[in-house]
Amino acid sequence: MRTPSAPASLRLARSSLGAHRRRFLGTFVAVLLGVAFLTGTLVMGDTLRASFDSMFTGASRGTDAVVRSAVTVIAPGDAQGTRGPVDADLAERLARVPGVAAAAPRIEGAGQLLAADGTPVGGKGPPTLAGNWIDDPALNPYRLAEGRAPSAPGEAVVNRGAAKAAGLALGDTTVLRTPDPVRVTVVGLATFGGADGMGQVTWAGLTRADAERYLTAHPGEATSIAVRAGPGVSQEELVAALAPALPDDVEAITGQRAAEENTEMVSGRFLSLFTTFLLVFSGVAVLVSAFSIHNTFAVLVAQRTRENALLRAIGAARRQVVVGTLAEALTVGLLASLAGLLAGIGVAAGLQALFPAIGFPFPEGDLVVTGTSLVLPLAVGLAVCAGSALLPAVRAGRTAPLAALRETQVDASGTSRARVVTGGVLLAVAVGTVLAGVLGTPSLWLAATGAALAVAAFVVLGPVAASVAVRVLGRPLRGANRGLARRNALRSPGRTAATATALMIGVAVVTLFTVFGASLKATMDRTVDRSFAGDVAISGATFGAGGAGLSPRLAPAVGALPEVDTAVGLGRGVAEVDGEGRALTVTDPAALSRTLDLGEVRGSLTGLGTDGLAVAADEAASAGLAPGRTTELTFTDGTRHTFTVRAVYERSDLAGDYLVTREAWAPHRTQDSDTLVAVSFADGVGTEEGRTAVTEVAERYGQPEVQTREEYAESSAGGIDMMLTLVYALLALAVLIALLGITNTLTLSVHERTRELGLLRAVGQTRAQLRAMVRWESVLVAAFGTLGGLVLGGFLGWVLVRASEGSGDSAFAFAVPGVQLATVALVGLFAGAVAALRPARRAARLEILRAIATE
Amino acid sequence: MTTTEKRLRTVPAAVRVVDAVKVYGRGDTEVRALDGVSVDFPVGRFTAVMGPSGSGKSTLMHCAAGLDTLTSGAALLGDTDLATLDDRRLTLLRRDRIGFVFQAFNLLPTLTVAENITLPSALAGHTVDRERFDRIVDAVGLRDRLHHRPSELSGGQQQRVAVARAFAGDPDVVFADEPTGNLDSRSGEEVLRLLGRTVRETGRTVVMVTHDPVAAAHADEVIFLADGRLVDRMTAPTADRVLDRMKAFETATGTGARTGDGHPADTHDPRSADGHPTALTPGGVSP
Repeated sequence: MRTPSAPASLRLARSSLGAHRRRFLGTFVAVLLGVAFLTGTLVMGDTLRASFDSMFTGASRGTDAVVRSAVTVIAPGDAQGTRGPVDADLAERLARVPGVAAAAPRIEGAGQLLAADGTPVGGKGPPTLAGNWIDDPALNPYRLAEGRAPSAPGEAVVNRGAAKAAGLALGDTTVLRTPDPVRVTVVGLATFGGADGMGQVTWAGLTRADAERYLTAHPGEATSIAVRAGPGVSQEELVAALAPALPDDVEAITGQRAAEENTEMVSGRFLSLFTTFLLVFSGVAVLVSAFSIHNTFAVLVAQRTRENALLRAIGAARRQVVVGTLAEALTVGLLASLAGLLAGIGVAAGLQALFPAIGFPFPEGDLVVTGTSLVLPLAVGLAVCAGSALLPAVRAGRTAPLAALRETQVDASGTSRARVVTGGVLLAVAVGTVLAGVLGTPSLWLAATGAALAVAAFVVLGPVAASVAVRVLGRPLRGANRGLARRNALRSPGRTAATATALMIGVAVVTLFTVFGASLKATMDRTVDRSFAGDVAISGATFGAGGAGLSPRLAPAVGALPEVDTAVGLGRGVAEVDGEGRALTVTDPAALSRTLDLGEVRGSLTGLGTDGLAVAADEAASAGLAPGRTTELTFTDGTRHTFTVRAVYERSDLAGDYLVTREAWAPHRTQDSDTLVAVSFADGVGTEEGRTAVTEVAERYGQPEVQTREEYAESSAGGIDMMLTLVYALLALAVLIALLGITNTLTLSVHERTRELGLLRAVGQTRAQLRAMVRWESVLVAAFGTLGGLVLGGFLGWVLVRASEGSGDSAFAFAVPGVQLATVALVGLFAGAVAALRPARRAARLEILRAIATE
Repeated sequence: MTTTEKRLRTVPAAVRVVDAVKVYGRGDTEVRALDGVSVDFPVGRFTAVMGPSGSGKSTLMHCAAGLDTLTSGAALLGDTDLATLDDRRLTLLRRDRIGFVFQAFNLLPTLTVAENITLPSALAGHTVDRERFDRIVDAVGLRDRLHHRPSELSGGQQQRVAVARAFAGDPDVVFADEPTGNLDSRSGEEVLRLLGRTVRETGRTVVMVTHDPVAAAHADEVIFLADGRLVDRMTAPTADRVLDRMKAFETATGTGARTGDGHPADTHDPRSADGHPTALTPGGVSP
């Protein structure tokens, strides 16, 4: 005789699912959205990776070897590092090496195109590049699609994507900032690896003479040399053949390895950052759905107490009840996950189609759906469903058979003493850990652990907080219906808390980012405020790797104006200081101290000459430097020079850690550009007057923006707003899932209170009043969730800001953006009202007689 | 005929039902719950509506109270034809002019006794006259329970709260639907006396649906329904007379077969017809 237990449980689960299909809709949608997000992210990541892979491989197919400098200096924060140049003439020598078919110098530099309307193209993330047009098509990753190659000075080939973005056509003349403005005529349009460009990177190809003139510091230099092998010579054989012909500090690598390095640079860094970022947000979405699902099952089990008790009374084993409930959860999870998989793949396919339409050249290629992107989301969906339903299922199994005889119990779980104690202890430990990690020896790990504990404490204390919070928040609510709403929300603090927790987590993450973003801005604001002593700033206003910087001739030209007292340019250089890669600020240190506030200066900033440098106090302390001491600098060209520390200054916010003169940097420089020109006006010159004069000069140098101190501070923070917008868009999904959770719980509650609602309608509650009652209950729950999220997110933001301060060297400001947070709060409340729309409508549609008659 | 009866005959009707027809379902499943009932419920009188299960007595009450609508015919509260009101007006009419006492689940569990009593006024947005409230609370004897929740009260106490709520708004009429159906005999008796006393002392109008002859005996007049038709009325009823009438009526109309229009006639003892155990035995509590 077979054991009937499992089939019986499954039959129960199936009949229950069939009977309560609508109640599982919220759960279904929550899982679907989470899984779809996850699948979409994975599929898109894989597809992009594969596309870039094939794009780079295709583009560099003809390049069998790359010869380049072996010296790289990697300054902190510059992941790629800066590689030294090679001698361009080396190409001709290499071309004569046996086994080599051709060798061409490749010159790469920054070059930002101006669009037909004079605005700069790109510069908001992806690099803006320029280089020499290589005539050997096998060695040139770009292919001419239209027009011809540049043959005369001032002619350029532009990649098709950039030309589209700039509104440029063949024959058009525009300006290329290198950073000195160069007038170029577009004579050809090019493609890269079959696409309109390498992602959103813009590229302009010049004649070799132009490229050497504008993109290299010294004529005769090249970035690398591309080599093509003769017939029958493999890439490895080619590299081996080249080796003896190479000077010191120059290396040869196979073309395949060069392509791999390029792919690694894009997919390894940019793409994994991108997908990790998206995965974090799908994680948030999944977490939020877990709370919604848990709540749905908790409510269902509570409502089903009598049913389960009856089952137990007539002989169902505890295990059968548990298995039955879990089977229900897994069935919903499986169906929703499968739908989510399809939706996720659909979203990825949609984005692939959409991206080119909005100007982002998504590389062509088939959608890559790996086993991982199918199995992982499915497993997550099932695990979340089963995990969330586990506790309610166990509770269902514990139903005493006698409960069948009692009146239906409304779930009133929530505020047990054990919960208060556990939550309290957890919160205390969390706060202690955070304080230790923030105020004591700064430790990001300790702070993060504390933050995680704080989230757990909030979840545990939720029901306790819910009854207090709803009472307080509901106090201003007047009138019978709002009073009823308040009491309904208070009825089951456990349920209210669980419903609100999903929203709380969503709002907390939003708040965390908002607070962190505002703090970053405030920090920049303060930095500019404290350290910028000039009147206007001219900056390359860029974000990420884009832009071409400012012409080094701009500062002297501005300085020559009668309205201007001092104009000093700050350029960027790199060198190894005592073996450690460091960023150098290339400037006129003496003039710099008149436009930037460097704080207290020990020693003298004047007359650093070609062998002197100035160091920021913090860096000097950690590197053991002091005025009069010497240190060795290694540059990217492989040379080493001994420098003497002539001054130590206090503030490094804008000036950076090391100051060297232009004369000292000149022999080692790469493409010459400034990142900032700080200007202070002569006495008696007004801001507008001075700015007008400076703007006029700047126009001749590629029209960089001339900004007041406030504008400069604001534009420095421009990237933060962009980032926040993206974060908000991604979090919208989590908040949506949380709202679905509120809707779902309300629907279940309305169902549970059918008789009460009937009674209310009988004794004179109008439909509008009933709807308002449901709506206010929802708003109260949302208000609690939003408030909790604001508090939790604010706390986590503070932790993050303090912990960042601990790990970084600059002072970090903590800011609470009132307006933004008030907006978040309002959106939360409004969303609560929206979440109630459907349950309220359903409640109002209730027929009174049926409600009264309901058993 | 007593003088009281004469006075009652001449007063206007609080509630009138004219040619009331209520049909549920269509075709084969069609059920005529009310089949042309015309009846007046005069002001200041306590009327009981009797009839076996399925006789249409609850439907009559629901339609007269604006909880349900008639298929044809008219239900009037005073001069107001309920059919002319939309859902909102009907709701406001129930709130302001009608009181309800249901068989069970009369009170909101989240509200205190006092709040339950004043619920209709609260929904209307005005406060209950303090003096009036006190008088009612004292009448139902719940002064010391005002701040309790319904779950802390016995069934009888809960029904008394419902009675208090029904009268608190000074309604034109109070409808009671099996108000003692869920109570033991003593609690039921208390609630019925409360209803009767309130009618006599304050001149209220009460319409009570019941299947229990003992409960009906508390009324000034009993009307009998069977198969959706008004079949008889009785003034100054006693439990025995009502019971006799019910029995006589059964033998007259039902022989266990079907009535003319095809309805299954209810031949069971009315007291157990609804499945309610006979907690109120006629002999046990009748005066």
